[in-house]
Amino acid sequence: MVTTTTKGLSRAHEIYADRGNRARELRKAGKKIVGYICLYPPVEIITALGMVPFRVFGDMSEPITAADQVSTTVVCPFLRSIIDLGLKGKFNFLDGIVGAHTCDIGMTLVISWRDYVKDAPFTHLIDVPHTDHAPAVDYFEGQINSFKRHLEEFAGEKLTGDKLKRACELHNRQRRLVRELYDLRKSDPPLLTSTETLEVLVSLFSLPVEEGNELLEEVIKEVKERKDRPAKKKARLLVWGPVFDNTSLYELIESADASVVVDDTCVGTRAFWADVKAPYDLHALAQRYLVDLKCPRTYRQSEPGETKRDYDKDLDSRFNYIKKAVTDWNVSGAILQSVKYCDTHGYEVPNLRHYLDTLGIPSIYIEHDYSERSLAPIKTRVEAFVETLG
Amino acid sequence: MSETATPAKTEQKRAINRLKSMYPLRNLVQQDYVNTLQASNEGKPTVWAMLNYWEGDLPLKAMGLNIVYPENYATLLAASGTAEPFLDASDSDGFPTHMCGYGRSTIGYSYRMMKENGGKIPPDAPMGGMAKPALLLGSGIICDARFKWFQALARYFDAPQWCLEMPMMATAEGTEADLEEYQVKFLVKELKDFISFLEKLFKKKMDWARLEELIDLAVRIHETTYQISEVRKAIPGPMHSTDFWSSMPPALFFAGDMKVALKCYQDMLAEVQERVNNKASGINYPERYRLIFAELPPWHSLKFFDKLAEMGWNFVFESFGYHNPKPPDLSKYSDPCEKLARLSRNFMFNIYEEAKRDNVSNAVVEIYLKIARGFKADGFFMHPLISCRAASCSLRTVQHFEQEKLDVPSLWVEGDIIDKRVFNPQEVLARAEAFEQTMDHYKKVRKSRGLDW
Amino acid sequence: MENATPALFFAGIDIGSTMSKAVIVDADGAMRAYVVGPTGAEHRLRANRVMEDALQKAVLALDDIAYIVSTGYGRVNVPFADKQITELTCHARGVASLFPNVKTAIDIGGQDAKVLKIRNGRLIDFLTNDKCAAGTGRFLEVAAETLGLDLNEMGHISLQTDMPVKINSLCTIFAQQEIISRLSEGTPLPDILAGVYIAITTRVVKLARQLKVEPPVVFTGGVAKNVGMVKAMETVLGMPVLVPQEPLITGALGAAILARDQAFQLIQKDEYRVRRDKKLGEAIIDFGEKSR
Repeated sequence: MVTTTTKGLSRAHEIYADRGNRARELRKAGKKIVGYICLYPPVEIITALGMVPFRVFGDMSEPITAADQVSTTVVCPFLRSIIDLGLKGKFNFLDGIVGAHTCDIGMTLVISWRDYVKDAPFTHLIDVPHTDHAPAVDYFEGQINSFKRHLEEFAGEKLTGDKLKRACELHNRQRRLVRELYDLRKSDPPLLTSTETLEVLVSLFSLPVEEGNELLEEVIKEVKERKDRPAKKKARLLVWGPVFDNTSLYELIESADASVVVDDTCVGTRAFWADVKAPYDLHALAQRYLVDLKCPRTYRQSEPGETKRDYDKDLDSRFNYIKKAVTDWNVSGAILQSVKYCDTHGYEVPNLRHYLDTLGIPSIYIEHDYSERSLAPIKTRVEAFVETLG
Repeated sequence: MSETATPAKTEQKRAINRLKSMYPLRNLVQQDYVNTLQASNEGKPTVWAMLNYWEGDLPLKAMGLNIVYPENYATLLAASGTAEPFLDASDSDGFPTHMCGYGRSTIGYSYRMMKENGGKIPPDAPMGGMAKPALLLGSGIICDARFKWFQALARYFDAPQWCLEMPMMATAEGTEADLEEYQVKFLVKELKDFISFLEKLFKKKMDWARLEELIDLAVRIHETTYQISEVRKAIPGPMHSTDFWSSMPPALFFAGDMKVALKCYQDMLAEVQERVNNKASGINYPERYRLIFAELPPWHSLKFFDKLAEMGWNFVFESFGYHNPKPPDLSKYSDPCEKLARLSRNFMFNIYEEAKRDNVSNAVVEIYLKIARGFKADGFFMHPLISCRAASCSLRTVQHFEQEKLDVPSLWVEGDIIDKRVFNPQEVLARAEAFEQTMDHYKKVRKSRGLDW
Repeated sequence: MENATPALFFAGIDIGSTMSKAVIVDADGAMRAYVVGPTGAEHRLRANRVMEDALQKAVLALDDIAYIVSTGYGRVNVPFADKQITELTCHARGVASLFPNVKTAIDIGGQDAKVLKIRNGRLIDFLTNDKCAAGTGRFLEVAAETLGLDLNEMGHISLQTDMPVKINSLCTIFAQQEIISRLSEGTPLPDILAGVYIAITTRVVKLARQLKVEPPVVFTGGVAKNVGMVKAMETVLGMPVLVPQEPLITGALGAAILARDQAFQLIQKDEYRVRRDKKLGEAIIDFGEKSR
């Protein structure tokens, strides 16, 4: 394993500051690094074929200067940032990139990557059906199979049932450890801040799964034993929305006398809440990623083909995992954040706020353009929101 | 689509040479509206459907259901300048303002109907409005908004919902050997479940013979419209884009009686062919430039094309998303659900092989390269929309590849489908003049490259 | 526990992007003095200056002020403040102290607009527009410039008409062009002005409708001093609005009242004495050196 001088939270902080570092080291040592965008590409397959999955994020502090050549401006700024970084060669340490048809622009991004970013010799786009119906799961399994075949060619080896099982176990272990880490945020005050949590999670997305698991064990031990506990704040919040991959947003919220104790974001619980189940085959992967992973890009209703509908019942079937989080982490308010031009999340907002209302949880919706300078006006609103929470 | 009726300008020369055969098709759509509304008033349940590229339209029609297309209705709101109160209503209920203009209109309409008008059609809704839905049929094809916004409508309607599936992929993965088989299998299963659901909901059985008949008619309509597209390649262009937009619904979502529609399209094919024989043009001014319009038209400002026609700009083709490709041969399939699946899937998948050969990853790019070659285009009029990502996001790469591969330049004009305040006609006309010089220049460049236009 | 001194005073300082205000209230929450002045670039200097001026008007010394709350855009630049609270909370509190039954407060500032939902004197929800000049005082400034008018005299002119012109442009810059075209066409000045007011108001009311406007509605901010704007607001909202005598100071007033609330809480918890000593030392040093 890796020898390093820093451990635990300090190590996570270091990795967060330059997350491509370890990937570059491993690449020099002969490992193949496969970048992935969004949560739908099954990382287990990458790990099982002896390669390192590396989640691709944008960069909120980098002004977008190259993306306009290939993309219009009124699209998701997170994805625009990714293609911008790609065009500038910032991801040249990736041997490949895999994305999924999770949203219109997400799909277009991978297609543009293939045409314009020449660094990565391997690119693959996995189609994801829009619903979680049974035939859709089977279709998605077919798409995962197609990805597997393509990656096998690139890896120069075949995927066996055993290799896949082992990879699933490793990634499941990571998810369990993350859930254990989140449990440490149930106390009042939580044993670690949301900034510290995010640094750990971003580190996990930048390391091979075993190294990530090692880091998690160090962090959990450190946090349980720590003397320098975070201060108690006035409010305990849940944060919802897409790509919350930068600590500046969490810092802003925490400085407003609030602790973010749990979330429903894709750099958070969405990635770690559901495990792959036995028998750890492609069908199990399809089930986990399409059905068990909760993201608004998938059309869900309380019962496919129901002829009688009930608004509140429908909302509860779609969002009751948030109810559980609110209860288990004792949340008093919710911040719904999204990037401008995100339809997937934008259409959810009024209905989700209504649902939270029925739970007695006040909420606020903030929209930003995924740049650090868009944060200043948000600060006042977040502060005012916390001020309204009794 | 359906514009407001223009009084005939008998004194002044009309800029666009409208096809006689366009009017019956436009009337078919308007009549369809009236019929649908009447049926709703008589208590017949009404389905709100998204454009679903025939996958959903045909089963609904085969079961004799009343259908309304909110996306189409929204273009009416735009064209008649009555969208604002609906857009405002959507904003006031907390929906983000950057969303699709069609989506905002429908959400606003639903809000005003249910929360402000006690379930009745808002009095200022043009063409009688849309009746309360008995089913919300969303579709995943083309863009996410088109199933997310129907899902959001649960806020106002307890109507049952269904989301139709249709894959869209990158061209390389879309041409894999075994893909078609398991993809069609998937779509067939979904269609069967969808039809069972319709039977349960509306308490009537699917008339399978009728469905077969309609699929057959659909193929014949599409064969005809495809031929019209081919014939339109003549110089000068015999049919202006505005005529296409007015007459496409009976082929795009089978508005109206399909037998009548087929006859109308056959008439249109004859008329267009006659124009070609007589070298008659789609504009009443000499054709100086052949333009392709991409993608969604400015419904609120269609008069703008008159000004461009006066400059000799003939819009010879347009909006790939509204055109059907050459229909596939469905004769070897016996299961009507399989026929449907293949017909619908063909909309995008017909182009993937060619794109792969041309080394282009984005299918939309390949479609437009084909169009530029086929129609000998002098330039592209790119109209990205601030509220429509799906129809706009590929336009930059289309622009880039058209320039790189074919030396066809593009004029970039931002706008919106519903909100006309974003579009500045004066400014565009000024740039259009300058763009003529660009087109002249690249005509020479193409000649020197050995291209034949 | 040390008894509260009978003559206790509290201060609120609102450093806005264009204007700075200070309010001093007594132990009953009644206003003792207030000051309004332009902010300029140096927030710290401005904070000190406006506090000094208020103290002078109130005939008090800094020692007499038991607790100070800073608010507004520049609230972090008031080192002698005991606490910072957002202008949203402060405005709500200030408006509610003047109009106890208020349910909706609409504030149009120089660079932003806010809509506050208030119940039982407390802020419960809010929306802001800080991205676009079209629904703010800036639009008025641009219009005034274009028409060659004095901002402070513009209000009355629009009242002469019942036919406001419709201004279509979403954007302040394009609207400016529209105004110029109208002028050259010979449209009467009152009609144009009334149209401008309606345009600004429509933008803000659109924001307000998202929170479901319930009366009584209070209208504040510099713009509320303009009678033409008040008329436009009532027209577009379709209900009467209340305007405080000094519509610019509701934020600072609210801050001062919140300062009083905070101080009483601390007195109860016996934490007052310690805090006061600490802050006093800091405040005097800062104040003496940097204010001139």
